[in-house]
Amino acid sequence: MLKKRLIGVVTVKDGWAVQSFGYQRYLPLGKPECLIKNLDRWGADEILIQVIDRSNQKIEPDFPLLESIGKLGLSTPLIYGGGIRNVADGVKVIQYGADRLVVDALLHDDLQEVQFLSERLGAQAVIASVPLSWQDGRLEWFDYRTQTKMAITNQLLTTVQSGIISEILISDWFHEGQVNSFEANLVKNFPFQNIPIIAFGGLSEPAQIGKLLVEPNIVAIAIGNFLNYQEQAIQKYKQAIAFEQFRRPTYACKYSLSTNA
Amino acid sequence: MSNLIVGIVDYGMGNHASVMHSLKSMGFKVRISADPQVLDNTNILILPGVGAFPSAMQALRDRGLVNYLQKQAEMERPMIGICLGMQLLTTASYEFEYTLGLDFIEGEIVPLTGSKWHIGWNEIKCSQQDSPLESSNHQAFYFNHSFTYQGADKYKIAIAQHNQAIAAVIRNGNIVGLQFHPEKSQDPGRELFKNLIMGLANAKKTFDRSCHG
Repeated sequence: MLKKRLIGVVTVKDGWAVQSFGYQRYLPLGKPECLIKNLDRWGADEILIQVIDRSNQKIEPDFPLLESIGKLGLSTPLIYGGGIRNVADGVKVIQYGADRLVVDALLHDDLQEVQFLSERLGAQAVIASVPLSWQDGRLEWFDYRTQTKMAITNQLLTTVQSGIISEILISDWFHEGQVNSFEANLVKNFPFQNIPIIAFGGLSEPAQIGKLLVEPNIVAIAIGNFLNYQEQAIQKYKQAIAFEQFRRPTYACKYSLSTNA
Repeated sequence: MSNLIVGIVDYGMGNHASVMHSLKSMGFKVRISADPQVLDNTNILILPGVGAFPSAMQALRDRGLVNYLQKQAEMERPMIGICLGMQLLTTASYEFEYTLGLDFIEGEIVPLTGSKWHIGWNEIKCSQQDSPLESSNHQAFYFNHSFTYQGADKYKIAIAQHNQAIAAVIRNGNIVGLQFHPEKSQDPGRELFKNLIMGLANAKKTFDRSCHG
């Protein structure tokens, strides 16, 4: 049976890993590589790196960071988001070691290019990041570059439904960084219930996460800030959530697998 | 450190760095190249791949690698395809348009049924005893694909279940295809990858000795 996933998120701004609060306030944590190495060692099911200043500054993906991460020799699947403008950027990101891509600004700017990305890399490699909030009984789509909200467009919905992206990362941007605050209406009221959803933002408590995971369209939970407060945080979350569709927590092997042939 | 040299076939599609790091962490020497002379001096070939089938086959043709790989297959050279690389080993694919593959393992690549994608960690069930995969039976590995192998059961040596039985590992002699990513499947992936490489390389040595000795 296919497992549901616990994704570790590392948010990067100005070259530093940061804690992010409501897409507005940031606290530095240190070198992204150190956090990523921890997530790999703790057995995260996937690692998502979101570099949040690239699209704002209209610059290319952070290839030096990807190169540096490549040297870590990760054995955990890597998702990268930040500054992907076209197919060439996407191909290069994969060549630098990412397994999948997240697009956000491109969903606002150029849906045709998202389709080209999907045709080149396969839809399984493309994730749509859709930051949402729940306001007066309706969903609002947030553009983090302009810090403005709007209704979800029909073009976006058509794209999502057409199968050119494989999963949607629904971020509760407003509650990001706040304990136990994820707005369940974001996933309950998303227009299509047959699209696989990764939920992110304000997810901190095992009971809260366990409740979301039973929803059939939730395929993964992404956690960022709350993984930074303890050693082996992934394993501890998995043990506390005790969700049978999770892969069992794994611990780094102390014995080498080096060959002696 | 192993004496085995693993050649990663570089055809511009995919994530060679991850495969290389994984192999090096297990003690193998690694060469990444599209040059037959370099690849000739390796014990086993790895065909990685991320992307769509037609553009991958075109990339192999553009680099003159289709003929080279076909000759290696005729010589029973051990070869492992990963993800899209596994799919390229088969007869043909229906991804976007009907495209012929390398045809080392008879069968076709067709869309998944029941769900559009198979993304994440899933357990495999081995269907052959005494295979290098035996210790990996019921372990979970990382899958990320929307098309799947359809062919004779004799080629399917491990399957995963996701609304249908999905060929997780296919094999024809010394040629093996892995639908999942062993290099991104943490310790279970490393263990399976190591056992498979060692198993195929040792089988080849035994075969060569019996032919030439």
